[in-house]
Amino acid sequence: MRGQVVAVSLIALALVLLPALAPRDNVLNWVFLALLYGALAQSWNLLGGFGGQVNLGHAAFFGLGSLVTRTLWLNQVPLPLALVAGTAAATAMGVIIGAPSLRLRGPYFAIGTLAVAEILRITTANALPEVSFLPTTYLAGYRLLPRYYLALGLVSAVTFVAWWLTRSRFGYGLAAVREDADVAEAIGVHAFSHKLLAFVLSSLFAGMAGGLFAYYHVSYYLQFPFNPIWTFDALLITFLGGAGTVWGPLVGAGFFLLLRETLALRLVELHLLIFGIVFVLVVLVFPGGFVAAWRALATRSERSLQ
Amino acid sequence: MSGDGPELLEAEDLSKSFGGLRAVDRLSFAVVEGEILGLLGPNGSGKTTVFNLIAGALPADRGRVRFSGRDITREPPSFRTRLGIARTFQLVRPLPNLTALDNVLVARLYGRGRSTALRTARDESLDLLSLFGLSQKATTSAHALTLAERKRLEIARALAARPQLLLLDEPLGGLTTTEVSAALAQFRRIQAEGITLVIVEHNVHAVRSLCDRVIVLNSGRLIAEGRPAEVLSRSEVIEVYLGKASRAALQ
Amino acid sequence: MSSILLQNAIFGLLVGGLYGLGAVGLSLVFGVLKMLNVAHGELIMLGGYVSVWLFTLWRVDPFVSILAGGPALFLVGAVLYQALFRRLIHFHEEHKIKNSILIGFGLALILQTVAILVWEADERAVTPSYAGSVFALGGVVVPLSRFAALLLSFAALGGLHLFLTRTRYGTAIRATAQDEQAAALSGIPTGTIYLVAFALGSALAGVAGALVSVSDAISPAIGLNWTLKALIVVVLGGMGNIFGTFIAGLFLGVAESLSGFLLGNVYREVVGLALFLIVLSLRPQGLFARG
Repeated sequence: MRGQVVAVSLIALALVLLPALAPRDNVLNWVFLALLYGALAQSWNLLGGFGGQVNLGHAAFFGLGSLVTRTLWLNQVPLPLALVAGTAAATAMGVIIGAPSLRLRGPYFAIGTLAVAEILRITTANALPEVSFLPTTYLAGYRLLPRYYLALGLVSAVTFVAWWLTRSRFGYGLAAVREDADVAEAIGVHAFSHKLLAFVLSSLFAGMAGGLFAYYHVSYYLQFPFNPIWTFDALLITFLGGAGTVWGPLVGAGFFLLLRETLALRLVELHLLIFGIVFVLVVLVFPGGFVAAWRALATRSERSLQ
Repeated sequence: MSGDGPELLEAEDLSKSFGGLRAVDRLSFAVVEGEILGLLGPNGSGKTTVFNLIAGALPADRGRVRFSGRDITREPPSFRTRLGIARTFQLVRPLPNLTALDNVLVARLYGRGRSTALRTARDESLDLLSLFGLSQKATTSAHALTLAERKRLEIARALAARPQLLLLDEPLGGLTTTEVSAALAQFRRIQAEGITLVIVEHNVHAVRSLCDRVIVLNSGRLIAEGRPAEVLSRSEVIEVYLGKASRAALQ
Repeated sequence: MSSILLQNAIFGLLVGGLYGLGAVGLSLVFGVLKMLNVAHGELIMLGGYVSVWLFTLWRVDPFVSILAGGPALFLVGAVLYQALFRRLIHFHEEHKIKNSILIGFGLALILQTVAILVWEADERAVTPSYAGSVFALGGVVVPLSRFAALLLSFAALGGLHLFLTRTRYGTAIRATAQDEQAAALSGIPTGTIYLVAFALGSALAGVAGALVSVSDAISPAIGLNWTLKALIVVVLGGMGNIFGTFIAGLFLGVAESLSGFLLGNVYREVVGLALFLIVLSLRPQGLFARG
C-alpha cells in the first residue's frame, strides 16, 4: 500500500516536471496523447469497468464535447467556458440516452449508445462536412504546454473518481449492481440510479476529453472525433490494462500507444487487425488485463515467499 | 403467538400471472410481528412468486402490499429493503467477484439504519461474518466459497440490512443434518432479536419445530392456515402434498 | 405533393425490406442464443462482397449470387460460433449478452480490416444490364431490381418461417429458444442447435448482403451502418420477435424516407434514434409484440 503511494507520487511528480526535463516537443506530444487516451479510456472504465454496462458509443460523447467546445472556442468564447459547455452537452446527452435504456435489462444500453454515436457521426458528416482549421491568430499563440497540463489535470481528475469508486459507498453499490442487479436491489441499492450516475460521470469526462481534443488539434474533420475507432481504442485500452481497476486504463494507454507507433509505421491497416484480435483474445481468455496478471503474479510470489 | 401482536405485513388480494398461468391468485394474508411464519405448498404453488411480490422483485398485477401500515405496492425492491424487508434467494446468489466481507458490507451501507461511515460499516460487517463462522473467509471471493458457506453468507448479508422482516427462501435445501440443526438454532436467535421471519421450506420436520404459524398455498391460492401441527394433519393439505408425491412416484 | 410523398414512401418500403431482412438474422440469434452479435452488419458486408466477387469474376447475376452468399456466410457463421461465441454459451444471461457484445465489437473491427486488406477500401458495385430499369405504377416510379429484392426478402422470410414451424429442426430450434434445459432433457442436442441457429442467422445476413449489392455499392465501411439499422429495427420489432422485426424494418425504411423528404436528408438518420428512445420509454417490448 505505502509502496503504491510512493510509486504513484513519483510518477505524478515526473509528469508534472516533464516539460522542464524533456524540452523536445515530440516527447511531450507523445505523453500528451497517452494522457488523452488514458483519460478517455478511464472515463469509459467508470461505467464499463466498475459498473459493468457496455457503452459502444463512447465516441459520441467525446465527439459532442469536441464539437461544442471547438465551435464556441473558434467563435471567440473563452476556452474555459467553451470546455464547460462541451462537457455539459456530452453529459446531457448521457442523461437522454441513459434514462430510458439503463432502466431495462438486456442489450438496450449497448444498442442505444452505438446508435447515438453512429447517428451523430453521420449527421455531423452530412451537416458539417468541412475541415476545421485554427485561424492564424489562434495559431500564433499555440503552445503545447497548457494543453499538456490540461490533459494531466483531466487524467488526474477522472482517475481520482475511479479511485473514489473503490472506496466509497457509491462505489460499493455500483460494484453490487455490476455483479447482480437483482441482489443489489435486494440489499437496498437502487440499481438504475447507480448506473445512471456512473454513466453521467463517464460521459462528462468523455466530453471533457473531447473538448481537450478540440483545443489541441490544429485541423481535423469535425466528424472525426465521432469515429467509432475512438470507442474501440477506449475499450481496447481499458481491457488491455484491466477493466474495473484504477490503474488499468493508464497502463493500457501507455502500452497501446507504444504498440500503435511500432505497428502502424510498418503495417498500416494490419495493425488494426492485430488490435482487433488482441481485444477479442483479452475479452475471451484474460478479462482481467495487465493489472489482474500483475496481481496474480504478486500474490503467487508472496505465497512462495511465505 | 398467532393472532396476537400487530400485523407487520399485510398482503391483500395479490395476483400475478405469467403468460396465461396464474402463479398467485387473489391471495390475502398477514404476517404478525415477531412470529416465524412458514409458507408451504407443493412446487409451482407460487411461494417464490409471493416472496418476489413482497420484496418487490416483481410488480403485482393487482392487490396491495402494506408494510408497517404503509402501502409499498409500487415501491422498488431497494426501497423496501431500506424500509426493513430483506430476503434470501432460493438458489443462493452471492455477488460472485466481491469478497465475503464486501458482500455483507454493501448491505450494511445501504440497508435500514445503515452506517454511512465506511469504517463503522466494515467493523459491523466483520462482526456479522464471525457470527456466521465466516471470519476466516472475509477476504475470499464469494464464488470460491462452499455451498454451506454461501448459504450462511446469504443470510448474513440479509441481516446486514437490519431487517424487521426477513424472507428466507428454502434456506435448508442442500444442507446436511448437522448443518440443518445449526441453521434452525440460528433462525431462533434471529427471532429472539425481534426480527420477524417468513420461511419457504420443504423440510416438514423443520417447519413443525420452527414455525409459529403456517399458511399453505396451492395453485397460488391460500388453502389452509394455522399452527403447523394442526394444519399439517388436515386432509386437504395432505391431499395436496400426497397428490404431488404420487405424481412424483408415477414419473 | 401527395404523389411525391407516396413516391418517398414506396422508396422507404423498398429499403425497409432490406432493413428487415438484415435484422432478421440478428433477431433469430438473439432469440435463440441470447447473444447480440454486433458484427452482424459486417456479415452483411461479406455477403455483399460474395456477390460483387462472383459478378466481377464470372458476371454472375447478383440474384443468383444469393445461392452462394447464403451458404458461404452459413459457413462463416459456423466457424465464428465454434471459435468465439460458443465459449459464452454457459454464462449467466446478463454476462452472456455483455460478452457477446464485446466480442462482436472486436470482430467487427477484424472483419472490416480484413475486407480492406482483401478488397481495398473503395466502393465496389454490381452492374447487371437491368441496373437502372424502372417501371411505373400509377404515377409512382419503382426501380425493378429493388422491387425484386423486396419480393425476395419476403420469400426468404417465408422460407425461414416454414423452416422454423414445419421442420423437426426448426421445432427443435424454437424449443431450445424457449427453454434450453427442457429441450436438452427431451433429447434435443442443444449444442448443435445453437451452432445451426447462429450459422442460420449469418446465412440470412449473407442473403441480405447479396440483395444489398443489387442496388447499393459495397465497401468495407458499410458494416457498422447495417448493424445500426438492424439493432434499431430489432428493438422496434421486439427483441427475438422475427415477424415483428421484419415489419419494423419496413416501418423504419418508410419513416426514414418520409422524414428525409420532410426535414431534409441531413437529419433522416436522427429519426431512427428518436424512434428507438421513444419505443424504449413507452413500449420496451417492441412496437409489434403481442401484449
